[in-house]
Amino acid sequence: MAEITRETVPAISVNNLSHSFKGHQALSQVSFCVMPRTLHGFVGPNGAGKTTTLKAICTLLKPSWGEISVFGHSVRSESIAVRRRIGFMPDHFSMYRQMTVFEYLDFFAAAYGLGLDQRDRVIHDVLTLTDMDGRRNDLISGLSRGMQQRVSLARVLVHDPDLLLLDEPASGLDPRARIELMEILRELRRMGKTVFISSHILSELAELCDSVTIIDRGQVRFSGPMDVLLDNPDEQPSWTLRLAVVEPEALTKIQQLSCVASITEPEFATGRDFSIQLTPPATGNDFLKELLTLDLPLVSFSQQRRHLNQAFMDLTTRGVRT
Amino acid sequence: MISGVLTLFHWTLRMDSRSIYPHLIRVAFAFAMLFAMAIALADFFGTSRVGLRYFQSVCALNVVLITVSGISYFVTAVTEEKDAGTYALLRLAGMNSLSITLGKSTSRLVSSLMLLIVQVPFTFLAVTLGGILWQQVVAAYLALAVWMAFVANLALFCSVRCATSGRAAGLCGVLILLLFTLPALIGDLVRVIPAGVLAAGTIRWLETIAEAIYSLSVAQRLTEVLATGGTLVMFDDQFWILTVAAVVLFILSTVMLDFWSAPDLPGNGDLPTNPAARRWLVRRPRLMPIAWKEYVYFTGGHGFLLAKFAAGGLLYFGFQLVQTDGGRSVSWELSNDAGVDLFRTFALIIFVELLLYSSGCLFYELRQATQSTLGTLPISATRVLLEKLAGCVVSLVPMVFWLILTIIMGFQGVSRYCSLTMVVSYFIMLGFSTHVAALLSLYTRWAALPLTILCSGPAFFCLALPIYGFTSVTMAAAGTHGLPVSSVLVILVNLFWTWLFVMLPLEIWIRDRWTAVVRQ
Repeated sequence: MAEITRETVPAISVNNLSHSFKGHQALSQVSFCVMPRTLHGFVGPNGAGKTTTLKAICTLLKPSWGEISVFGHSVRSESIAVRRRIGFMPDHFSMYRQMTVFEYLDFFAAAYGLGLDQRDRVIHDVLTLTDMDGRRNDLISGLSRGMQQRVSLARVLVHDPDLLLLDEPASGLDPRARIELMEILRELRRMGKTVFISSHILSELAELCDSVTIIDRGQVRFSGPMDVLLDNPDEQPSWTLRLAVVEPEALTKIQQLSCVASITEPEFATGRDFSIQLTPPATGNDFLKELLTLDLPLVSFSQQRRHLNQAFMDLTTRGVRT
Repeated sequence: MISGVLTLFHWTLRMDSRSIYPHLIRVAFAFAMLFAMAIALADFFGTSRVGLRYFQSVCALNVVLITVSGISYFVTAVTEEKDAGTYALLRLAGMNSLSITLGKSTSRLVSSLMLLIVQVPFTFLAVTLGGILWQQVVAAYLALAVWMAFVANLALFCSVRCATSGRAAGLCGVLILLLFTLPALIGDLVRVIPAGVLAAGTIRWLETIAEAIYSLSVAQRLTEVLATGGTLVMFDDQFWILTVAAVVLFILSTVMLDFWSAPDLPGNGDLPTNPAARRWLVRRPRLMPIAWKEYVYFTGGHGFLLAKFAAGGLLYFGFQLVQTDGGRSVSWELSNDAGVDLFRTFALIIFVELLLYSSGCLFYELRQATQSTLGTLPISATRVLLEKLAGCVVSLVPMVFWLILTIIMGFQGVSRYCSLTMVVSYFIMLGFSTHVAALLSLYTRWAALPLTILCSGPAFFCLALPIYGFTSVTMAAAGTHGLPVSSVLVILVNLFWTWLFVMLPLEIWIRDRWTAVVRQ
């Protein structure tokens, strides 16, 4: 019963959050919900209010209006309880550069009230997870940016938080470090953590996240499962078909199928990919059944989805907010 | 090169004019001059010396302002580029060492000289009020201008030598302090040493050094200039020596700029990199991790604590040795004079140490942008601040130990020298200054320490009167009621009212400001 309750209480619940700085409305009626054990992306243009929202969630900022709760604890009235359950990684490097990696993690573990034995075990675990165990005695000032980012992530994990709030964790990292970071985030999700990640790297978010919130000019434009965002409900779905070998008459054969409305070769295609529109109310299954009768060398068949970049561009406004 | 210098010069002046703080300082200075005029009129109304009294106050204000500018404003000339990581960009833009030192320091010097120029109409008023000649005014301004040039170039040298503005301000502060106090310290040393310990030639040599340093002092030169009677020399030795010193410091700064501005190698730190030595020095945090962090990484930890114990011991036994017969026997006992001198020295060291810690410990977080990380710990802001205080207090232990030992061993001299009011005032000023320094460090980048020194002077006069009043009233009340512990009562009463009406509001302000800074 307790498990059920834990699962049904949202990891983050933001209701009508508004905030203004010196007359500038940074957030306006922002509402969204993040379920436990999910990876939630938080995207928006520069100045959209992402960092302000993150700061409000991690108790660093008292919003002018609205309510935020983390695992049922109000950020306003139970800030200490909230801080125990979250790990916040800011978008800038905030590290004690004269400490070694071990000393840095040991300090934060002690600040969260962990005993000496427990600290040794936890530090070993988080360093193994972030692949930094071999650098535990290195000074932080001597580490590369990617390694410092890993140490920062290890720091966020030392007290075993249920919710990780990561503000632009991949900014400034090289492609390899970015891919490795994403792998660590997947591993964290497998471990049952809720990860709330603010990022500009949309392609990676699309692969990684279960759900997403898009914010623009202080207002939420979309919040929900990633699938819902990428499947545009207003349009008739398109399908991509890939053949191993394209025979000259293949295109004509497919065009003649009853459920095919149109078939086009996509731009920059390899010559083996076809984009297909079906005649309503035909479904993918109907098409596939007819296609198999043609005995073509089929490699793959999938529904075309909007790219997150496209969804982002559709939902957000051009230009920098003034 | 000229265009580079002009660009830097122009840019710095523009930044200066856009910032509100220089204008506020100018307005504050104008008010200070008005206040000095009012005091002069009140003191010498109806006499012929009003102008002289007024001009003396203006000169004193200028000396303080120039000296404070040295530690705070001039000293960031080059380090502000190093701090922001833009020094290399200046070099990439084709600027050579001379362009950088000239462009960065001249604009600051001009900006400060403007403050002196603004005073000119007021100084004519001093001549009109009487007691001073225009030749004396000109000579005084020449002395002040050359002092400013010297301080600016000394600060530039520190700015070139040090990697950060904080270190440069510390070095510059120590050098200026030495310049002011060395003659007195040498004089005291010569006085305390019993006859026969040092050769007469050595004593003469020490006295000559003290006199030479004293003759460079702007305070001594202004006293000479403003003294009535005698012939007035416009360009005396002080002018030429300080000018030459300023030029030498400028050349040295320019020549050494590249060498001293090389970026730090990664891994450089104050603590050893050897794992065993580091393990012993750093240990591990337990009950109060933030206090541990402050103690180990901010104040220097065990290594620095031991060094301070040793330095305090050297100072104690050094004084003790020179004041005993021929310096041949070592004992814990202190003579009256040595006790008083040692007491003053340790009290001053503790004051300076505490000011450095209070002005740096919160700024240390801001500089490393770690305040938001501390802000998300499940610890209240008040506890964070108290733990930081605890970490700094631990590192005061060596000097406090030697101070207490000095009081015990030289009690006779110390008790004769120090009245109860003086001791209470010392502790209250210590508390007040540390609070102000901590607060200012959350508002300004590098000026917390000099501004605190600037604030502490007037604050001392504001606080001294109620302290004296409360002491008298408490002593009288204790006497009337026959209470045997009147001294303890005096201390408690004074500490209570200053805490309630002075420290507590400052503490709440510090906490609120820290919270605001964490949220920024």
